[in-house]
Parts: sequence; structure tokens; C-alpha cells
Amino acid sequence: MTPDTPETPASGPDAPAQRPRTSILVLDDEPIVCKRLKPFFQKAGYEVEAFNLPAEALSRVEERRFDVVITDLKMQGLDGLAFLGKVKALYPDTDVIVITGFATMETARESFRKGVFDFVAKPFKLAKILDGVRRIEKERGLVP
Amino acid sequence: MPFSVLFKKFKSILERNNAILELIADMGDKLGGDYVYDRQYIFDSCEKLGDQVFKLVSDLSLLCQRKNVALFNTFERIQQQIQAELAGRRALSRPDHILPLAELTHDLADEGGNKMANVGDIRNILGFTVPEGFVITAGAYFEVMERAGLRQQAAETTRRLCDSQGAELAAEAERLGRTIREMPLPKGLARAIEQAAKRLSEGGRYLLAVRSSAWGEDGESSFAGMYESVLGVAPGDILAAYRRVLASLFCEEALRYRLHREQCGEEPAMAVGVMRMVEATVSGGLYTYAPLEEQDQAMVVSAAWGLGKPIVDGTAETDTYLVGREPPHTLISSDIAAKTTMLCLDPAGGTSTCDVPPPERDAPCLSAGQLDRLARTAMALERFFKRPLDVEWALTDADELVILQARPLSIRPRYCALSADAADAAGDAPVLLSGRGITAMGGVSSGPVHLVTEGQDLSDFPYGAILVARHSSPRYAKVMPKCRGIITDVGSATGHMATIARELRVPTLVGAGSATRTLRQGQEITLDADHIIVYEGFVEALCRNELVREDVFEESWEYRTLKRVLRHISPLTLLDPKADSFRPEGCKTFHDIARYVHQRAVDKLISLSETHQELTKGARKLATQLPLGLTVIDVEGGLDPAAGNDATEDDIRCRPLRAILDGMNATGMWETAPVAVDMSSFMSSVTRTLSADMAHPAAMGRNLAVISKEYLNLHLRLGYHFTVVDAFLGGSVNDNVIFFRFMGGVTDFTRRSRRATLVAAVLEHFDFVAEIKGDMVMGRVKKHPTRAMLDKMFMLGGLIGYTRQLDAKLDSDEAGQRHLELFLNRIAAVRET
Repeated sequence: MTPDTPETPASGPDAPAQRPRTSILVLDDEPIVCKRLKPFFQKAGYEVEAFNLPAEALSRVEERRFDVVITDLKMQGLDGLAFLGKVKALYPDTDVIVITGFATMETARESFRKGVFDFVAKPFKLAKILDGVRRIEKERGLVP
Repeated sequence: MPFSVLFKKFKSILERNNAILELIADMGDKLGGDYVYDRQYIFDSCEKLGDQVFKLVSDLSLLCQRKNVALFNTFERIQQQIQAELAGRRALSRPDHILPLAELTHDLADEGGNKMANVGDIRNILGFTVPEGFVITAGAYFEVMERAGLRQQAAETTRRLCDSQGAELAAEAERLGRTIREMPLPKGLARAIEQAAKRLSEGGRYLLAVRSSAWGEDGESSFAGMYESVLGVAPGDILAAYRRVLASLFCEEALRYRLHREQCGEEPAMAVGVMRMVEATVSGGLYTYAPLEEQDQAMVVSAAWGLGKPIVDGTAETDTYLVGREPPHTLISSDIAAKTTMLCLDPAGGTSTCDVPPPERDAPCLSAGQLDRLARTAMALERFFKRPLDVEWALTDADELVILQARPLSIRPRYCALSADAADAAGDAPVLLSGRGITAMGGVSSGPVHLVTEGQDLSDFPYGAILVARHSSPRYAKVMPKCRGIITDVGSATGHMATIARELRVPTLVGAGSATRTLRQGQEITLDADHIIVYEGFVEALCRNELVREDVFEESWEYRTLKRVLRHISPLTLLDPKADSFRPEGCKTFHDIARYVHQRAVDKLISLSETHQELTKGARKLATQLPLGLTVIDVEGGLDPAAGNDATEDDIRCRPLRAILDGMNATGMWETAPVAVDMSSFMSSVTRTLSADMAHPAAMGRNLAVISKEYLNLHLRLGYHFTVVDAFLGGSVNDNVIFFRFMGGVTDFTRRSRRATLVAAVLEHFDFVAEIKGDMVMGRVKKHPTRAMLDKMFMLGGLIGYTRQLDAKLDSDEAGQRHLELFLNRIAAVRET
């Protein structure tokens, strides 16, 4: 087998300038959520990193900024609210979408107070979360 | 007990019944590809549902003032089955340790192991030929190890090795393996295995292949070549071969592999497949993606005379063919080797190497026709498993193609790797349809559009095309193995066709609106069902991406578990209240219990009102021209106080009931002509456990309306249809509400869904928010002025009358459209008079 070489992108006078991909971090301790969201967003043209462990996600956001963070609220080891607080403290212009199976008015209010962009109750439709991300891109001017 | 208390219970039963049906429909919806849900959702839903059903049973108990032990027992039994499913792996759903291959699919992957479950899918879902055989389950493994006192030892050895990072590994593995090879087997199991082997070999006529099928093998981890397969086993030697395969679970390589992949924490288990050896004239392997850069769109076939083992081992001279992945699967190149020896079956048991007769040495093993057959079969397998595959196959004397096994290709060709440019490639392709529709089955596929019209003969459906049709139909099941995707303008994710598409994993989009008008016959398209987009042309990058998904959703624990628990929840098997089986003991699912309780509650309220008129005061049999058999319970002001025991329509003061009866009485709305039910519809009705004479008005039984001046709760069973109307009209505008639910039907699923579509269209025409779930239609409308709401009740009366048995007439989609217009015209006419 030949080693991997990147495919050459289409070039020429008419080739559009490469726009950076919108980056997304997904954090959910239920593996199925990451396993479904990651390929879904990748196929839709996003750059995605997904984590099951809050600690790993935390150290990753300390390393780099993401345009969008999608996080569960109730996880072993770390509260999603604390995580989103951390993200917002590091990067105020990162937008966070909270996904949770335990949606109460209380948690919803608390997350919005912490600057959450959207609040999606589990189970959710794939189209719905994609829609949320697209609204963020529009508002942030990430898409033309 | 005062009637008011009993009535309250009755109302709570009705509400709970609705809540339960909606919960069940909601869970069913989640099997479609549209939703992301986790295990918590499954646990929560089951808990909520169990709670509601338990309370429903308790309510009935109170209403009927008896203990109702049998129904509680039934509830408990079903609840336990669900709990067992939720408890996961250890709760193997098949207690029998020997599972015929004919009964094995991926739903039983825990019992049969991944490898044999794949073979089961190939045989039972895709319909290809595989060798006859059976599986000795993972459950059997646990029993064997437990009885021999080795389960503990195996677990400890594994843990110790993990802790010590594998020092002593070789010696420990050898010791454990030897113990297992020599261990005694439980007598019952040993006898069962021997008998099954004897039957399979037809008393020694065939030799057997005994193959490993461990948990996880050929799944996310391949364990390729680590576990043992014993070929050419005589039935008398089956037990020794079984033990050898079991022992290989702890061979040094497998232990190292688990250690390396950090799988030490998971308990391993070995299911074992026993299959007839195929007397192959030609055998070989096939990679659906050739691991060659310049041939990225090819598959590669290796073939040799005789049995396939030397090919897999790489010890034999083989012919190599490169074949196109896309139809018509053109032969790109062939390399014919000089094949001097081949592996043959030794009639005495085992295999031996023989010479290839000289004329065949330099001849190609495969003809063009055989290659084409292989290529089509392999692509069907790849589409199903959604991964590039390594397929082992054999051709028999009778030129029959037999699939021996299919495993994910562990060497992924370069072009197959997830490329970051996939999205860009898709981004440039013109979008034909986007954003409208429901994903019944996720995935990406491409091919030419094949438009299918109602009633069209499907026998010439082209191989590799994408089926595009106005309505979904279970008729398409026939061509699903040939087709790469399905798009329909109208349809539901819980419908019958969607279920089959998920079984066969054909990417399917329903309710896409205008697909039949937008897409042209023969047009090359790429369907991305996950993102609800249809692109023009062949978007290769997207299709390739499909094959490198980290996870196939339908193989996930969550999907399989939801599907399994739903088997104890959603099927309705208890339909006919007159049947002997209509008893608590006859309930097989939660849906059955809800149906049973509902029927008993209605009966109870009617009988209470008949025998205790002093309790219910306002209860009357309503005398009307309509064959409704309607009992009316007046809670407050719904009937003229002067009315006698035989109330007539004139005595009704309940405005919603008056309006609905007017609608039913309106000229031409009550369909009285007998309906001819054709044979296939009739047969399908029989399987739905209803008797045909139920359609007769005299046999319709008793129906119930609970009324007050402003309120109506109407339960109608008209033949095969169950209709519920719940309305409050005449207070303030904000309180005005009508709920309508309709389900059932005498005919096959297609016609019933056509009627559901028709009913929903009518409801929407009259401002209802309508929803179809399976063959249930629900509609809700709120907060219109009372006059307008009464008009809607009138319409509902007409609709109930008009659609009664109408499904039998809906033999085509055009008929559905015709009847919709007919009804709207008629109702408009009678409203004007």
C-alpha cells in the first residue's frame, strides 16, 4: 500500500479560496452521541472533535479554541454547566449548545444565564442540532 | 362507591391510555434515522411507560372493584421481559444453547457472536446462500466454563496478565488453553451438540466446519486469524473441535490483542458456529476495495480450485481479477496463475492437498458470468454492512454461489480513508432537494433515478437504481435488495416500508414532498439521507465516507436494545373483544394491556349505567337511524331532562354531539353499501386476528359517549376502526378544543396508510394539526370560535361516516386523491344546505 498523500485540491483561476471550516467540539459521556454527531457533522463539512470524558475535553479546550461547543449537562466527573462556564471564560465568543436528557426550567435558565446559545433536549433530531450550528455560523458571520 | 368517583377513574383511564399510545409511538419513531438518543432515553421511556401501564391496571382494578390479579401478573411478566432486555448482555434472550442459523440475525449478535450473526444476516435478511448450520451460543460458553469452574479462573488469569503487563503470558495462556481443551462438558449440552452435528451432517454424509464467533470478533476489532477454525470435522469429533475453538479465546495472540486494545476489563465470550463444509469446485476471497492506489474504484477477487483455506492463508497460487465497483462491474484485468495443487475434502475427515488435473492448471477459475454474480453479491453485502468487506465465498458443482463469511476489511485502501475534502466535494455538487423529509434509514448512496408509479410492475426494476415514488409502500420490499436508495414524496418513518428499509439498511427518505416532480427518470443522483439532501450526479467522496463511519448506528447497543424492548411494548395482538384470547393472560405487550383495559373500562361504564340507573341517572341508549349502538352517559345537562329512557337525537342538548351526529346523518355521508374486500386484503385482515363478520353493523357492539352541555367524549368502534373524539366547545374561545384519533382498518397496510393519509389531509384542510404514526392518525384543533368548531364537529361526523371501510376501496394512490376531493365536495355541499 502507498502511504497517504493528501488529495490535491481543485486549483486554477476559478477555484474558490479555501475558507476555514467551522470547528465543533462535542462532549457527551454517552458514546453513542459522539459516535453519531461526529460523522454527521464531518460529512456536513465541519471540523469535529468528540469526547466522552469531560477531563479530556477540558484539557483540549485549554489547548485550542472551537467555534462551537456542544455539551451534555449531566456527566460523571464534571458538571456540564461548569464546563461551559470554563469555555465561556476562556473564549467568550465560542457559542455553546447544551444537550441534555434532564431538561428542567431551572437548568435551562441557568444555562442561558451562563451565555448558552441554544438548549436542546435529548432525544433530538439531527436536523435540529445542525440548524442550531448554522444559526451560530450566520450570527457570527462564519459563512458568507 | 359514588358514580362520580368511578367516572373520574374512567376519565383517568382514557387520559392514561392516550399518554401510553403516544409514548409507544414516540419510541417507535426513534428507530428511524432522524434522532439521536442515548441509553438514558431508553431507560427513562421504559420506566415512564411501565409506570403508566401499572397505574392503568390499578385504575381498572378500582373501577371494577376487584383485585384483577391476572392482569397484574401479565403486567409483571412483560415488565420483567423488558427489564431483562435492558439489563444487557447477560440477559441473553435465547435460553437454548443451540441456535439454528435460520433464526440468527444481528439482533442476536450477543448470543451468536458477530461473525455468525453476519452470516445469519446474509442468509436471513439479504437472502444469499450460506452453508447450512447452527451456533453454539455465548450462553453455552458461560455455562460450560461455569460448570467446569473455569469462568472465575479465566477472568482472574486475564486480570493478572493485564496487571503484570503480560509477563508470563505465553505460559499462562498455554496452561489455560490446555485446561479448556480437556474440560468436561455438561452432559445435556454435549448430547445436544452431538445430535445437532449428526443431523447437520446427515449422519456423516457431510463434514463440518467449526468456526469461532467470539464477542467483538469481526466487529470493531477483527481478531483476524487469532481464533481457531477447525475444518473437515466428522460429527463424532464435534466436541473436541468445540473445545479447541473455545480454548483459542485465551490463546497468546488473542490475549495480547486484548491487552493491547485495553479490552481486558470486558468479559470475553466465544460462540461457535458449526456449518456444513461446502464441496467447493472453486473458492476464493474478495475485497470490495482493492488495496491499490491506481485502481481505487475496483474490487479484487482471488480464486483457486478446491477449498479456500490456502487462499486465505496465502499459500496457494491464485487467479486475480480486478472488477469495477459500479454496475455493470466491468472486468479491468485478470491474472491467471498456474495452479498445480488444491485443497480437497478427505472423505475420512479433514482435508488433504491434491494435484490439479493438467487441463485446468492454466485455465481461469471464473467465467465472466460468475464474476458478475460475485461482484453484485459483494456490493449488496457492502451496502448492507456499510463497510468495505473481505468476503470468503465458494462455488459448488451445481454452480451455486455460497457466501462463507464477510468481515470488515481491516486494510483500508488509501482512497477509502476519511478525507477532509468530502464535504467540499459535496459542496460543489448541485443540490436538487434539501431539508424536506424524514430519514427513515440513514446513509449515503448514489445511482440513477427510477421513478415508480402506483401499481407498476416492479419485476424490471434496474439493478443499482434509486427508487423514487409518490407514496411509500411495503410492495417495494421486493426490489430493495436491488435498489440503492428510496425517496418518497409521502410516507412515515414508522411505516412498514421504512421498517423493511432499516432491516435491509437501504438509505431511505420519506415525506420529501416533491421528489417525483423534481427528479427525472435515469438522472444520476446522490442521496444523503442523514442530511436530507439530494445532489445531482455521483458524489464519490460522500459515498466513500459512508464506508468509513466509525459506527453503524443499527449495530449500536442503543438501537438494538430499543428494537428489542419495543417487541414487548408496541405490537397490538389483542384486537377482537369477542375472541377467547381477549383476556389478561392473552396480553403479550403493553399495547395489548392498554387495549384490554380500555375495552373493559368502556364496557364497565356502560354496564354500570345500564344496571345502576340510579347511579348514573343520565345514561341512555340513544335511539337513532345510524347503526352506532351508542350509549350516552350524561354527566351534566347533555340531555333534555324530560327525555325518557329511550332518548332520541332530539333530546340531545350536548352541542358537540349534536353537531357530529348531524354530520353523520348528512345526506350521502354514511356509506351503507356493502364493501367488497378482495382476497389479499381479506387475508391480511385475518392475520390481524379480526373476524370478517365484525364489519356487520349488528356486530358492532356498544359504543359510548360521555356528555355534558359543552363536553363530548366519544368512543366508537365501527367494524375495524377505533375512533376517539374528545371535545369541549362553547365556553370561552380559549377553552375550545377538539381532539380526534383514528386507527385500525380491515385491509393491508398500504391501504390503511392511504386512508390515514386521506384522513390527515382532510383534518389539515379543516385547520387541525394532524400527525400520522403508523396507522394511527391524530388531529388537534384549538381556540377557534365555537361556531367554527361546531362546523368542524359536523365535518368529523361526515368523515367518520365517509371513511368507514373506505380503506378497502383505496386500491391506488389516485383513488386516495379522488376520495379526498369527493369528500371535500360533498361536505361543502351539505354544509351549504
